[in-house]
Amino acid sequence: MEAATQPREKTMKVKVKIWRYDSQTGERALKEYEIEAPEWVTLLDILDLIKDQQDGSLAYRKSCRMMICGSCGMRMDGAAVLACKTRMYDIVQAGHVPVISAMGNLPIVKDLVVDMDPFWEKFKAMKPWLQPGYEEPPEGKEYRVSQERMNVIHKEALCINCGCCVSECNAMESSPEFLGPQALAKGMRFVGDARDGATVERLEDYSTEHGIWECTRCYFCNERCPKGVDPRDAIAKLGAEAVNEGIDRDMGAKHAKWFIKSTETTGWLRETELVPKTQGVISAISQMKFAMGLAVKGKVPPPFPPHVAENVDEARGLHKLVQQQGRQGYEGIVQGERSLARLDHHLREDGEVPPSEGSVGGMGSLTSADITPGEEPTAGKAD
Amino acid sequence: MDAKHDVLVVGAGCAGMRAAIEAFDVGADVAMISKIHPTRSHSGAAEGGINAALGNASEDDPEQHAYDTVKGSDYLGDQDAIEILCQEAPDDVYQLEHWGAVFSRTEDGRIAQRPFGAAGAPRTAYAADITGHVLVQVLYEQIVKRDILTYEEYFAWKLVVDDGRCQGVICWDLLNGGLKVIGAKTVILATGGAGRLYTGTTNAYACTGDGMALALRVGVPLKDMEMMQFHPTTLAPTGVLITEGCRGEGAYLLNAEGERFLERYAPNAMELASRDVISRAEQTEIDEGRGIDGNVLLDLRHLGAEKIIERLHGTRELAQTFAGVDPIYEPIPVRPGAHYHMGGVDTDVWGLTALEGLYSAGEAACVSVHGANRLGGNALMETITYGKRAGRHAAEWALSNTTVTVPEGIVSDADSELRELLARTEGERPWKIRDELARTMHENFGVFRREDQMQRQGEIVDRLRERFRSVVVEDKGMLFNSDLTQALELGFLLELAQCMVVCGLARKESRGAHARPHDYPDRDDENFLKHTLVTWHDGPQLDWKPVTMTKWQPQERTY
Repeated sequence: MEAATQPREKTMKVKVKIWRYDSQTGERALKEYEIEAPEWVTLLDILDLIKDQQDGSLAYRKSCRMMICGSCGMRMDGAAVLACKTRMYDIVQAGHVPVISAMGNLPIVKDLVVDMDPFWEKFKAMKPWLQPGYEEPPEGKEYRVSQERMNVIHKEALCINCGCCVSECNAMESSPEFLGPQALAKGMRFVGDARDGATVERLEDYSTEHGIWECTRCYFCNERCPKGVDPRDAIAKLGAEAVNEGIDRDMGAKHAKWFIKSTETTGWLRETELVPKTQGVISAISQMKFAMGLAVKGKVPPPFPPHVAENVDEARGLHKLVQQQGRQGYEGIVQGERSLARLDHHLREDGEVPPSEGSVGGMGSLTSADITPGEEPTAGKAD
Repeated sequence: MDAKHDVLVVGAGCAGMRAAIEAFDVGADVAMISKIHPTRSHSGAAEGGINAALGNASEDDPEQHAYDTVKGSDYLGDQDAIEILCQEAPDDVYQLEHWGAVFSRTEDGRIAQRPFGAAGAPRTAYAADITGHVLVQVLYEQIVKRDILTYEEYFAWKLVVDDGRCQGVICWDLLNGGLKVIGAKTVILATGGAGRLYTGTTNAYACTGDGMALALRVGVPLKDMEMMQFHPTTLAPTGVLITEGCRGEGAYLLNAEGERFLERYAPNAMELASRDVISRAEQTEIDEGRGIDGNVLLDLRHLGAEKIIERLHGTRELAQTFAGVDPIYEPIPVRPGAHYHMGGVDTDVWGLTALEGLYSAGEAACVSVHGANRLGGNALMETITYGKRAGRHAAEWALSNTTVTVPEGIVSDADSELRELLARTEGERPWKIRDELARTMHENFGVFRREDQMQRQGEIVDRLRERFRSVVVEDKGMLFNSDLTQALELGFLLELAQCMVVCGLARKESRGAHARPHDYPDRDDENFLKHTLVTWHDGPQLDWKPVTMTKWQPQERTY
């Protein structure tokens, strides 16, 4: 790495341990490396220095080194990172020696290089191309779509297919056939696109056995995504939209629907009814013995009379408010997300909000309400 | 021969993918070879946008676009090629949008356009500051839709030439190891630029000029190789790109004294002058002691958090990660960095090279629409329009011609050459040669050029090539042997560097990116309104080619 040769830069000693692996021989070893490097280096720069100066056989992918190509996904201390985005200075200062290994949930070819074929197979399974909608674009020009409407898929469009989310996905670990966070986020990119005409077919496709509802909601994908795509949120949007479109055969969908119904009516989760509502009565009967055991131990409340929360009116009020705001399907989640993002971006360390020239639409407005496409922000809408 | 196709596209960035889509739609059996997965291509790092006279932000027309481009090229661009680009650009952009490109929008829901350097109208259609990423995604989606075969992580090492035409590519299968021979009736080189010739570059590690070198090695001329564009806003130390879109949105460039120094260099266009002008202004400020640690400052603060977060989100992320600066509160230190090769494989307006069956498009090619200086936003447009045109012509030609032969001798020669390289154990590993090449190119063939420095650089590259002859590949394995491919890439870069030096020395004038303030400070239309051409016969051989003029005569160029 060229700039390391410039003498006047401040340098530091960097130590890393790397899991080496060769899929042809099956050899596997954790090796430690120590190298002198400029203070500004990233993990990717360190790998480059090691490959140049110590071991030319070290294998890893790289290209843009600016967080856009998605080549250098790998694990540091067991969690997926983009090597080019990971600065080493603080790690070195803390005296830590990180362990670098290949991403999870994908077969390793050599060292830090995984076989991405299973990843791309799932991407392709989403039919990831725009299917022209009912409306023709006017006069051979572009489709007319508002910025607000495009903002619905803003985050999903940021995905660089690096695989960090897939690496950390707990559901894929136990069920490798699960479509997984990146593929489903790609799916949301089309379901949320006003120009796409295949929304219902897509939601049907994505709601099958290894689709939307197989996600365990552990949020590791959101946690590890280096681009802020928040795949779990995308999956939630697909779920909300599927239910909204009446595609709710899957137990996961029924489960989610019962949560809403239950909290609206009692303010609590009516657990006893949850199983039959999710799995159906017949399936639930087979679990009676287990349920009785739980009841004996006091793990489930008696079903009758239903336990109603003291301030259940508040829960019902919230439910009504959400309905009034039109927060149904993915648009509701997007609306909530954008409000949170605004808080996130605009609060300075000292708690002050910097001046802003008002809304230009989309995320980040301080001076006007965050408006979901085509909806008024709050109450007053005719039922 | 391991496989055979009508059309084989080498490189799968915007130009390569667009070419493959077009060839497929014409009806050809098409495949792509790429040393990295298509979505990893460096087209994805283009940030600011794509130029087309859509007229969505103000009155505009293709003629105005063409004039701006001709003037921006410092009159070295071929005007027929420029006119084609600007005429076809609007429909090509609409098509991307119909395929699903996630463009930013105007108030009335049309594709948003922002002002860019040296453009007479806000003409740069954009998707926030990730336009390239959005286009790479949409093109790859269309590749998947058509189920176009991609030889992923195949490194194109040699072109097969037989019977006076290009008939395939010999590649190294990076993931599994081994040489593969893929025959084709036509081959399209769309491998991008060679920014890795420089220390501070916006270019990815993959940008090693492979296609240019492949063409050069089979006797095809390269054009205008001295024309390397330096982008005015890149981050120290490695050259990560900060988009021109910042200035398009209104950012200022300041020197150490807090002065908007462009008042002294481009008083009308200011920060929106062309890239060559601004890079020279910055370098002058830095050289004359008005920089800060070798940088000037790009100030976005007055744009407000709102605009920065919405339209320059990725830029903020880059500045925070690589410079430790949040542009909402602090200016970003920036300096010129190697960015784009206006030069490349000499082609006609259908992407056809001097060799039958061989085409080129995108940054690897030189049609030439950029001449001596490319306008921001024109590169993505060129990849689409000329990718399409090359794909169409190559497919039509392939469909009317039927045979493909790969002589056994070519393959066995390649095989023994590779064995010899891998068997070598005594010698130098490539990285010191690579670093020295990049450092000296920056020093001696940068924003400003001097006769003596260029000469010295020629000698340096000669010596580096000598050292390269006994280079050692340490990794002897088959799986993902990037030690081998990086050595082969260095071989490409060294030849391209020599071509650049020869062309730079021959052009005794200052035009666009080729600035010689010490000996030839002015443009010399009488003697140098022509392209350099370079071919390889045991070394670079120089020739010249006239510029195609249609309706614009050279004028003084001020901004």
